[in-house]
This record gives sequence, C-alpha cells and structure tokens, in this order.
Amino acid sequence: MNSEKLWHFGSNLILLLVAIFMLAPLVVVVMVSFSSSPVFNLPAPEWSLRWYSALLHKDGLGAVLWLSVKVALVSTLAALVLGTLCAIAIAHGRFRGRDALLAFLVSPLMMPGLVIGVALLQVLREVGLRDVLGALIIGHIVITLPYITRTVHASLALFDMRLIEAARTLGLSPARAVLQVMVPSLAPAFLTSGLFAFLASMDNYPISIFLTDARNKTLPIEILRYLEESPDPTIAALSAGLILFAIIVLFLAERMVGMRRLAQF
Amino acid sequence: MTNRLRLKPLGIGWLALPGAGYLVLVFALPLLALLASSLFDAEGAFSLAGYGNFLGDSYNAKVVWNTLKIATSVTLICLLIGYPAAFAMARAPVAVQGLMFLALILPLSVGVVVKSFAWTILLRSNGPVNALLLQLGLIDEPLKLLFNERGLIIAAVHVFLPFMVLPIFTVARQIDSRFMDAAATLGGGPLYRFRHVVWPLSLPGVVTGCAFVFSMAVSMYVIPALIVGDRYQTLPALLARAYLFMRDRQAGSTMAVMLLIIAVSIVLLSSWLGRRIEARQQRAQEAA
Amino acid sequence: MSTLELTGVSKRYGSQAVLDRLDLRVESGEFISLLGPSGCGKTTLLRLIAGLTPSDGGQITVDGQDLTALPAHRRNIGVVFQNYALFPHLTVGENIAFGLKAGGLPRGEIAGRVREALQSVKLAALTDRPISALSGGQQQRVAVARALATRPRLVLLDEPLSALDRKLREHMQIELRRMLRDAGMTAIFVTHDQEEALVMSDRIALMNRGLIEQLDAPQAIYAKPRSLFALNFVGLSSQFAGTVLAAADGQVRVATPVGEICAPGSLLPGSSVTLAVRPEAMRVGGSATASDNQLSLPLSDTVYLGARRLLYFHSAAAHGEDIEALQIIAELPAQDQAAPHIGERLQLSWSVADTLLFPATPQA
Repeated sequence: MNSEKLWHFGSNLILLLVAIFMLAPLVVVVMVSFSSSPVFNLPAPEWSLRWYSALLHKDGLGAVLWLSVKVALVSTLAALVLGTLCAIAIAHGRFRGRDALLAFLVSPLMMPGLVIGVALLQVLREVGLRDVLGALIIGHIVITLPYITRTVHASLALFDMRLIEAARTLGLSPARAVLQVMVPSLAPAFLTSGLFAFLASMDNYPISIFLTDARNKTLPIEILRYLEESPDPTIAALSAGLILFAIIVLFLAERMVGMRRLAQF
Repeated sequence: MTNRLRLKPLGIGWLALPGAGYLVLVFALPLLALLASSLFDAEGAFSLAGYGNFLGDSYNAKVVWNTLKIATSVTLICLLIGYPAAFAMARAPVAVQGLMFLALILPLSVGVVVKSFAWTILLRSNGPVNALLLQLGLIDEPLKLLFNERGLIIAAVHVFLPFMVLPIFTVARQIDSRFMDAAATLGGGPLYRFRHVVWPLSLPGVVTGCAFVFSMAVSMYVIPALIVGDRYQTLPALLARAYLFMRDRQAGSTMAVMLLIIAVSIVLLSSWLGRRIEARQQRAQEAA
Repeated sequence: MSTLELTGVSKRYGSQAVLDRLDLRVESGEFISLLGPSGCGKTTLLRLIAGLTPSDGGQITVDGQDLTALPAHRRNIGVVFQNYALFPHLTVGENIAFGLKAGGLPRGEIAGRVREALQSVKLAALTDRPISALSGGQQQRVAVARALATRPRLVLLDEPLSALDRKLREHMQIELRRMLRDAGMTAIFVTHDQEEALVMSDRIALMNRGLIEQLDAPQAIYAKPRSLFALNFVGLSSQFAGTVLAAADGQVRVATPVGEICAPGSLLPGSSVTLAVRPEAMRVGGSATASDNQLSLPLSDTVYLGARRLLYFHSAAAHGEDIEALQIIAELPAQDQAAPHIGERLQLSWSVADTLLFPATPQA
C-alpha cells in the first residue's frame, strides 16, 4: 500500500517537473515581452507594451514574415498533393518494395538539414536558379512531404475499405462513396500533417540558410541575426506572437482531431 | 477513383511517381552529387585529399569527437528523463495525459530559434534558473550556464525531449499490465520484472527515441549558435562556416558527407536493432 | 497440495464494496469454480488471493500461513490469466522458464523442468517457437504449463477458456481438469459460463454482489438452488409468483395466476413466494397422478436443440404484461415424436417434490 502511494507520488512528481521544464521557456519569453526593462530582467520592474510597438515599427519584418508564410503555405499545399498520392500508391498498390519506398519518402526527416541544404545549393547553382522564393519552396517541400506521406499513409492503412463497399450497397456511386466515407475519415490526417508541415517549414533554419540571400530572409534566419547583433525584448514580443500562433494552431487541431492523434509517432 | 484503381491494383503504383521522382531529383541526386564533389579536388581530379586533410587535422578530429560526445550526452539525458516520464504518463489518468501532451507538443510547435532564445534568458547568471537555485540554497553563487556545454545540453534536452517521450509512451501504453501481473505471480520481484519484462518490451520505443534524438543532436546548429556562440565548434557549425564564409567547397562537402554518414549509420543501426528486436516474430513468419 | 482459507476478506473501490467480508475454504486438491455475472467480484477475489490487488480487510491463509501482507511474487501462487498474458518477447520455453529463473533455480534444473512441463501439455516440439506462432489452444496450454512449472501451492485460473471457440473449449475443459488432477493441484477457476462450471468443478461458489450466494457441488447448485438468484443463474425454469394458502404435512398450497400449486416446505399462510420447476421435471401429456401439480396450456413455441426439444407456454393469465415471469418451459427428448403443433393445448404435470419454493425477499 505504502509503496504504491510512493510510486504514485514519484510518477506525479516526474510529470510535474517535466511539464514545468517544457513550458517554462515559453512562459519566460512571454513575460519578458511584457516587461519594460530592456535587459531581460525578471521579474519585470514594470509591465509595458513598448516591445510590441517596437515590433510594429521594425523595418523589413513584414517582408520577412510574408516570405516565410508564402514558402510554408506553398510547400505544404504541394506536399499535400504529392504526399497523398504517394500514400495512396503505397497503401493500396501491389508493387514490390512499398516499404522501402515509404522509408525513402520519410528519410529526409532523419537527415541533417544542413546537408540537405548544402546539397541543394550546389545543384541549384549548377542549374542556375537564382530566385530565392523558388529555391526555398523547392527545398521546403523536401521536409514537408515526409510529414504528409507518413501521416496520411498511416491513416489510409487503418481505413477499412469495406466501408466504401458498405456505402455502395447503400446506394452511393463510387465517387460519392469515396467523397462521403473516405475523405471525412482522412480529414484529420490531412489537417494534422498539414499543420505540422506548415510549422516545420516556418521554423526551418538549416535548409533556408543556404538558399536565402542578404535581401530575402526567412523569419528564423532574421530572428537569429537580430539576436546575434542586438538582442532586445523586441524579439521576445515576436516570439510571444509565434507562441500564440502555435497555441491557436494546436487549439484548432485539438478541436478537430484531439491531442492524442497529434502525438502519434 | 479509388474503386476503379482498386480493380487495377498495379496501376495505382504510378501515383507515387511525382512525389518519389521529386525527392530523387531534389534530395537523393543532390546528396549523391555532394558525395561525388567531396571526392574531386578544385581541378576536377579524383582525390581523397579532402578526407585526408580533414581527418588528418587534429582540430577537425576533435570537432567530430566533440559533436558525437554532445549528441551522446543529450541522448542519454533525454532517455534518463524521458523513460520514466513516458511510463508515468502511460499510467496517468486521461486528463493528466492530455495536459502532458500539451506540455510536450506546444514547445514542439514553437520554433527552435524561439526556444533557444528563451534559454538564453533563463540561463543568464542573473536569470530565473540561477535565482531559483540560489533561493533554494542549492548554490552559493550563480552558476555559469551560458556560453558553455552545460547550457547547451539543457537547451538541447528541452528541444529534443518530446521526441524521446512520445515513442516510448506509445510502447509503454501497449505493454499489457497483465504481463506485469503474470511476472509477479511467477515470483519475479520489481527489479526482475523491469529487467525481464518492461525493458525488453519497451526497447522498440527506446531505439526509435534515441535514433530521433541522436540524429537531431548531431546535426543541431541553431541551439549551439545561440547558447554557446561562434567559438563553440561542432561539425554542423564548421560545415556552415566552410560554405557560408570560407567558400571552401571540398572541405564543406567533406564535412557534409561526414555528417551524412553519421546520420545514415544511425538510421541503419536503429532499423537493424528494430528488426533484431522483432526477429522472433519474423522467425515465426518464416516458419509459417 | 494446499488448503486455502479466506476469512472476512473485503475490498472497496471508493464507497462501493466489491467484496463484502467473504469467507471461503478450499480443500487440498479441490477444484472450485467462482461462478457469477460480470461485476460480482469473482475476478477481484482471484486477484486478492494472488496478491495482485491489496485487500481492505480479512485474512488469506494457505496451509495456515498468513499471506495477506505478502506481495504477489512471494506467494508462490500460480495464475493462468484470461488471454494468457504470455510474454510476446520470449519463446515458449523461455516463457515456461521465466518463473524458474526468477526463483533462482540452477540452469540445468530449469532446462529439465521446462522439458517436463512442456511434455505434460504435449508441446515439447514447440519449445523454441515464439508465442505468436502458436494457436489459441496451444497458447492456453503453455499458459497452464508456465503457471504449474514453478510448482505453486495452488493455481488460480481467470476465465482461461473464454478466448477459445466452442469445440476447442469443450475439449480443453476436460484436458485442463486432467492436467490439474495429474499435478494434484488445488485450483480456483473463475468463470461466468455456468456449463463450464458444472462440467469442471468439485464445488461451485456462486457469487453475487461481492458475496458467495451458494457453495455446493454442481448437482446441488442445479437441483437445490438456495435463492432465486442461484435458480436463475444456473439453468432454465418455469416460475410462478403466488401467496401461500395453507401449509400442512411439510407441504404448502400456493395460489398462483395459473391456479393452485403444491410445493414441499412450510411457510405461514399469506406469505408471498415464488415457485419454480426445472424443464426436465415437467411431464407433457398423460400419466399424471392425483397428487401431481397439473396445468393445461396452449403451446406457444418450440426450440429444437438436437438431443432435446424445449416447449414454451405462455399462460393466458399473462395478458401480455410481464410475460417473462409467466413463461413455462418443458423439455422433451427430441427423437420421442414429432413436434407438437403450436397452439395445441397440452397437459403438463410434475411431482410436488420437484417444485422449488422461494420465500419472496423484499425487493428481489
């Protein structure tokens, strides 16, 4: 009885400490962003919104943000199309080497981003592509594609094809059966993998660093540059904005598919 | 669409062509080209000089060693924290599990740059971590946690911990509590049960988690750049410098290939281990 | 061979008592079934005996030794789990050796004991197979061999046959009894399947709401149920609610919706009772003696069961309401004659001695 209580207490303590460890950095950033002090002092001497107004007046930030969003949006949409086709082919095809193909399609996640970036840089130089936006989109699809393929494939593999047959015996045409039965059951997979692919692209540093130039920078690159040159809580305000964005994304995903499915590995 | 394709199952394989072809062109071939370029010198002649020069330099060897050492420490600490946390989570009530998912996934959804920046605030000598430790009386004067490996390991563990906890949680949840009951009724004490039931059954999750964390820790760039700064040299930092500042293509591609070899070995090693763990089931299939 | 004794064993989850001061004594070498509906506490009782769940009160002793405070791994009580709980990462032989290794036996002896255990369940050829390569029946036998290999003081079996299909289950009922008898093992067997309990047990402990309703040999459980619960849980019966009119000579005369019925027993006139008759005690047509209870009813349905046939009658007095309470069931050998026609009025009779009498319990 006593050892059971001790066990219970110990495991709750571990979970509490891990939760604090994981969330403390985010909380601290948000607190600093509302502090009036310019030197990251905590607790804040006074609360203020000065870093948020500084953020709004920061030159060039809008362009940087817009570039990141464009790249993330386009590369996620492209990966949704390509990845879904791959997932269908692997889940329902009958050709040899499907496992190997899936492993290949997911492998960019296990490769160092810097190496992918370097390799791509060399090839794009050979080809003569100088357009930063194009290069970034090409590069980011390499990392958004695995997210989509993996999740949609897992979801397809679980989908019971007999449901389509059941729908057809209930009078639905094949097309309507797919649309009304299969698409809704795959929607959570599209949504979660799409959101995570989007976030991964927004956050990518190692590939982007080789594909951007002095005038066209993505958000992580620009933040890192600010921090190395003139760290001040403006970045905390920006970070707080990004944390809020992540919270909104997770809230939406949780509403639609539940936290459990987000964490499937 | 699906229905027609299901009638001609061979035809469906072509759907993978655009995606697979894309990755071949933009991912696989460039990596091969990189491998090739590390084997040719500036005049275009085949030469292993790049590797010779790189590994012959004791500084570089130290950098490689340093990179592997940090990645190993980070992986082990993640395992040490993540393993009990994953099991505690698997046995916790659903509501607690939900909160833990939030605590793991929210940081995962926030960029590495933001998280590293946060740690530069937390780890300052007059920052919250030192303030807490002083308050608790655990230290008498502020610890130096920034610009050194201590801080780097703390921040890296924070960034990679979810990748250790979640795969282990998945296997922990699947371990039937009756296996533990059965082991107990057969006379196995708590340690024996852990050693002979829990640990072997959780190994697939441990292998996956360690492979994730180690491969990411070997190639981390942003975290050391922000926490330790330029002076701290790991393979990725050297690689980035060779390309971005020194424009030394052969040295850069040599380092890139070294990093690639490490990453590929981890993938191969972990899948080999995974297969070895499942070897019994495979033997069963062969027997059948 | 060991004797198990439970005294006042209790278990509560929150405010709900799952086991309420339960007493039970199992003799050495005996095979006892804990039979009851789901939620009656039978599995909890099994886990308490094994030490897998701590009890809230009472005492558990084996051969006079108090086990109550011992953890499961020090009790040396074998358990065969529902769905077997065989370790998926170990081979058949390693599963059997698990408990022997945990007990620290020398290697040579372990090998011998594993061989012996597998021979006793006729699976010696499968020693090096992984668990996943075995059929359900084979897994079941490995689970038994694993539980017996450590030579436990007694063995507990938690619905060990419920995952098997019907045919194999019936075979394993006999096989399992033989194995336990050969090993001379005291066994406690949890089941919700009345037939299984009747076939296998020396005695059955019929459980309901955390208590043992009746502890008896299978024949007594069926023929002399001590409560309506016992009557209904094991076997079919026709039941009549009524009021005692008169009592004399160890018999009562009861007014029921289908007329007056006599039963053995003695209760004060005016008492509310329920009467019951097992289907095979009912005679259909002719040969009634004057002292027998008699009914004449139209046949409403027949069910053919191969060796026998059940006849269902609904009393006219039912008026469509509460039909179940007034369903009357009789049994005929199937090969006897052609099935009677539905709607045909048949003469039913049974001897007074075969009538079971249950005083109505308040709120039952």
